[in-house]
Amino acid sequence: MAQEGLLVSAFYLLVFTALLVSYRVLRGPTLPDRVVGLNTITTKVVVIIALVAAMRGEYYLIDLAIVLLMVNSVGGLILAKYMERAGGA
Amino acid sequence: MLEGLILFGEAVMLFGALGILRFPDVYTRLHAASKCDTGGAMSIILYLVLTMDAPGIVKAKFLVLAFLIAMINPMVSHALARGAYRYGVKPEAVVDMYAWDNP
Repeated sequence: MAQEGLLVSAFYLLVFTALLVSYRVLRGPTLPDRVVGLNTITTKVVVIIALVAAMRGEYYLIDLAIVLLMVNSVGGLILAKYMERAGGA
Repeated sequence: MLEGLILFGEAVMLFGALGILRFPDVYTRLHAASKCDTGGAMSIILYLVLTMDAPGIVKAKFLVLAFLIAMINPMVSHALARGAYRYGVKPEAVVDMYAWDNP
């Protein structure tokens, strides 16, 4: 089934790009670089969870993806507020 | 026809990751991450909604996920840019198009 193969290839490409971006998280020069990489990886993981939910037909995973996105937003806002308060790189 | 949507999303995701790896600055990396990631995720989820055979409530949940990505991701990027500037990171990339045209 061609459509299944398309979804599986999308899954592997998303995992590959998440591994690429993890270089920026491990070795970013400054703290904002690491936060940007972490935010990007979390968005990719949300899309991966949505792909798995559509491939396997286990639709309860969508709730998991929505909750992960909300937690990511709160964490990003708190880290941005911390960087704003800390000052002085 | 619809396969173009998911291929577009994957290409946009790949180029966003390359931009995060290769750009010289926090702000340019944030530009690549925010724009490319939001567009790619939304087009992939839209493809899933259009081609899936599932009950309507599940498709509505996928659409809620796409809407939340479209709302939340630019907000976090804006807050991160503001926080990075207050943290003390100065922009390195300078765009001066008048100097490019008149050497």
